[in-house]
Amino acid sequence: MSLLHLDKATIKFGGLIAVNEVSFEIKTGQLFGLIGPNGAGKTTCFNLITGVYKPTSGSIKFEGREISGTPPNKIAHLGIARTFQNIRLFGALSVLENVVVGGFLRHRTGLGSAIAYLPPAIKETEELKQDAMRLLEVVDLAHVANVRSRDLSYGMQRRLEIARAMATQPKLLLLDEPAAGMNPQEKMDLTGTVRRIRDEHDKTVLLIEHDMRFVMELCENIVVLDHGEEIAQGPPSEIRNDPKVIEAYLGEAV
Amino acid sequence: MKFFAVRAGSIALAVAACFALQSFAVGKGDLFFRLVFLAGLYVTLAVSLNLINGITGQFSIGHAAFYMVGAYGAGYMANNYAGSWGLKGPLLMLVLLLIGAVVAAVAGLVVGLPSLRLRGDYLAVVTLGFGEIIRIFVQNSPPLGGAYGLTVDAQFKFKYVWMVWLLAILCIAVCRNLLKSAHGLPFLAVREDEIASSAMGVNVTRVKVTAFVIGSAFAGAAGAMLANFDGFISPTSFPMELSFTILTMVVLGGTGSITGSALAGGVLFYIPEYLRDLKPVSGSSLVAAVIAVIAAVYVVKRIADHYHGDKGKRAALYLGTIIAGVALQMILAAVFKNVPSLANANFEASKLRMVIFSSTLIILMLLRPQGVFAHHEFSWSWVQRLFGKKVPTTAVSV
Amino acid sequence: MDLGLNVWAAFELSTLPQQVINGLLLGAIYALIALGYTMVYGVLRLINFAHGEVFMLGAYTALFASWFLGYGKGSTLETSGPANLMILLIASMCVCGIVGVAIERFAYRPMRSQPRIAALITAIGVSLLIQYGGALVLPIAPPPSINEKVNPYRGVVTMNLVGGDPQLLEGYEKAKIEFETAEKEWQAARDAKAPDEAIRTLRDKKNDADRTMGDLQRRMDNSGVKIRIPQGQLIMFGTTIVLMIMLTYLVMFTAVGRAMRAVSHDFDSASLMGINVGKIVTITFLIGSMLASAGAMMNATFLGTPLTTFFGVMPGVKAFVAAVLGGIGNIPGAVLGGFLMGIAETAVIWAGYGQYKDAIAFIILIVVLLFRPGGLLGSAKVEKV
Ligand SMILES: Nc1ncnc2c1ncn2[C@@H]1O[C@H](COP(=O)(O)OP(=O)(O)OP(=O)(O)O)[C@@H](O)[C@H]1O
Ligand SMILES: [Mg+2]
Repeated sequence: MSLLHLDKATIKFGGLIAVNEVSFEIKTGQLFGLIGPNGAGKTTCFNLITGVYKPTSGSIKFEGREISGTPPNKIAHLGIARTFQNIRLFGALSVLENVVVGGFLRHRTGLGSAIAYLPPAIKETEELKQDAMRLLEVVDLAHVANVRSRDLSYGMQRRLEIARAMATQPKLLLLDEPAAGMNPQEKMDLTGTVRRIRDEHDKTVLLIEHDMRFVMELCENIVVLDHGEEIAQGPPSEIRNDPKVIEAYLGEAV
Repeated sequence: MKFFAVRAGSIALAVAACFALQSFAVGKGDLFFRLVFLAGLYVTLAVSLNLINGITGQFSIGHAAFYMVGAYGAGYMANNYAGSWGLKGPLLMLVLLLIGAVVAAVAGLVVGLPSLRLRGDYLAVVTLGFGEIIRIFVQNSPPLGGAYGLTVDAQFKFKYVWMVWLLAILCIAVCRNLLKSAHGLPFLAVREDEIASSAMGVNVTRVKVTAFVIGSAFAGAAGAMLANFDGFISPTSFPMELSFTILTMVVLGGTGSITGSALAGGVLFYIPEYLRDLKPVSGSSLVAAVIAVIAAVYVVKRIADHYHGDKGKRAALYLGTIIAGVALQMILAAVFKNVPSLANANFEASKLRMVIFSSTLIILMLLRPQGVFAHHEFSWSWVQRLFGKKVPTTAVSV
Repeated sequence: MDLGLNVWAAFELSTLPQQVINGLLLGAIYALIALGYTMVYGVLRLINFAHGEVFMLGAYTALFASWFLGYGKGSTLETSGPANLMILLIASMCVCGIVGVAIERFAYRPMRSQPRIAALITAIGVSLLIQYGGALVLPIAPPPSINEKVNPYRGVVTMNLVGGDPQLLEGYEKAKIEFETAEKEWQAARDAKAPDEAIRTLRDKKNDADRTMGDLQRRMDNSGVKIRIPQGQLIMFGTTIVLMIMLTYLVMFTAVGRAMRAVSHDFDSASLMGINVGKIVTITFLIGSMLASAGAMMNATFLGTPLTTFFGVMPGVKAFVAAVLGGIGNIPGAVLGGFLMGIAETAVIWAGYGQYKDAIAFIILIVVLLFRPGGLLGSAKVEKV
């Protein structure tokens, strides 16, 4: 069944068409890749899906429901979570607290209970912390749970972004260049982590990545954007040999 | 139930402490009594602004407006309606306090709603402007006494120091509880990054408005206490500089630190009172002080930027600089005594108040922008660590 | 800030052109100050809260310069020439230029690497420090703050848009001469210690003549549509326009201006491209402060606005609103916003709500931010994520 369906999604910034009539469909349980040269409109696609921007035209359906124009926090509640290309952690909060913020959307107790510090709120806080701790173990950050997230290394911050997004217990996880700035060893580990997230935690994953080896190895299906336009779509084996894709990348590189 | 026993015990303790404070203060003369009262008010004001400013990161510099709205709300209701309620004493004061809180909360809602779309610096100007609009409105409103002020009926004057301190404690407790439970995290998250917060499902609008409403409700409650303590309020009781004074307290205490703003509120409010009784300052000592402060700040900044030795040595250097600064002031003052034009100029000490506050703001931003307490809170493990004991940071303090 | 013009006139349509003119005159000052806010915001993304205080210091410098020239209290000097005005203007522009640059250098520059809120708090601190620190040493100057004799242009330019009754004018001129002679006679009688009786008769005659003249003047005012502008304000307006043209030239057609625009477009890239960002920021503060001080000097000289060290707060805030209204960071926007603010304020007074003339600025600000946060000429930027 299709989980996310973009249909001719388009957004213009002034004269610039950042995403032009892009359509693709992601099925539940897929590991989906979104690639393209710099400035192709990949991140903007994420911003459309997560409600940061409203598409100028076209539709975005999640579980068959139109979500374009829904504010980001509502979309998070519907079950889409993301990481940010330019890391956006809550710098002054500890690693654990960052993840608890992610999990907080499932809270049941009211603000009054928290302000009065009543047992339900205390208990819930404990539970959220425990859940967060378990997620930190998944991304191997449990040992730095009480460190300020601003003080983490770059690779750790990227993993924390993933854990924080996972904490919202999304159905669809969007990863924006999760491997950027990582060394080969870290990238290897990350491949394993993403696989595990999909297999063991039953998530559908859509990821943006520039490292072709990483994408080709991990993803089952890939969409390629260039200058906001969708130029190819298919499994890695096809994409690798698609002349348009090669041209887009070579044209980029030269 | 151990929980409820502990809770009931701590509430009883707080109430008892407040009453003890009242009976202690009563015997020490009117002036002292009022000071104790004001201390409680300013703790409330500083801690409540800290919720908006430090914890939620909404840079509001018009807190006195909410204080004013609460004061006028309670004063007006007392004069015009309270007679028919059939309430007396603490109960009546409590109702008036709630009225002040509600009126100010509504004002907080009004400011909070448009401010949602504004970034930090714009919000600052809007809150400042809101304060001015309120003041101009009150000045031109005959039912509120206009520019002459509002005299609250003598029968509604309540000298309840205990209640003001209970209010302060309640304000501190609310903020602390919020931060100790998971519910406080969205507030901090909004301060850190709004876009990431909303991507995590945080309703940024709701969080900001909640912070504004709670913060201004406490300021309004404080205003109600003031109106019924003094029995007279006027637009000049709530000038723009009052907002800046409260802001200085929060900034000095440390962004987001409840402990910091409570302490700063309880201490800084005394500076104006202290200066009022001081004899005029001579030009020579004032100029000497200015030079000494600039020199000390310069040296401290150099140390902070270039010396990366261990903590103890650095602290010793800072302390040395401060002592040297004081010495420099004394020496220079003695030298300048011989310059007639300086020695003969006298400055009223009370006029120095805002000069001191504004220099504090600037120096603080230069040397320690995160404030004295930074983000730290008072807790027993923190005290222990301060004295060199090794306590794991993960320890969840009770 | 009060223009001291005939702004309290009844809510009458025939005074509308006069009101628009008053608004423009007031707006010109706001525009001059607003330019400083907008330029600094453009390059540093900082609200320079102390800008209003620079404006205040400009007025004080002009005051001290006039004292230095001998136009202090009880001065016996004759009306001066334009040279003295130039001296006042240059003095305040120089002093304020230095003050503005010093504020940037010692208070804002160390904050460059800190979060923006820290810079903002510093700005507030500097502003308060100048206000309250200044209050310790600077005198309060009641109106007219600067001796009127410094200003050689004290006449009033009158323009008839729709002709009034010529007979009325004739009558008025006659009544005026009558009044003046009556006044002289009365004074002469008093000086000569004439008998009380005679003095009283002469005084009554003078008062009668005064009343007739006032009556005729009122009737004349209400007949036809005319505009009256004090010469000084005309000069003020002209100077403002000249300064704005000079600024436009500087920003659009010189190397410094190009660098300024580059820094304003993208601070970090500009410094990577080899632009000396520190120098550009300094120049920005220099120009902004000089423009504000020119406004302050003319304000104090031609309008005699009373001076305290808090004199800059309200014009400062209103000019900031003007900058936001036009689109902060946008130079033509600041000018447009300044004029609109001036007109809005005059309109509020005209409509009889003079006591709310300071509130209107904030109401406009809130409305603009709600409905068009980018301002009239700016465009709201969507934050890139
Ligand atoms: N808020 C915005 N306003 C104006 N233009 C924007 C905005 N957001 C993105 N763009 C433009 O849209 C285009 C696509 O940007 P986008 O960030 O989606 O690229 P990308 O594919 O993620 O590139 P990269 O690989 O470098 O991350 C770029 O030209 C960018 O400048
Ligand atoms: Mg991108």
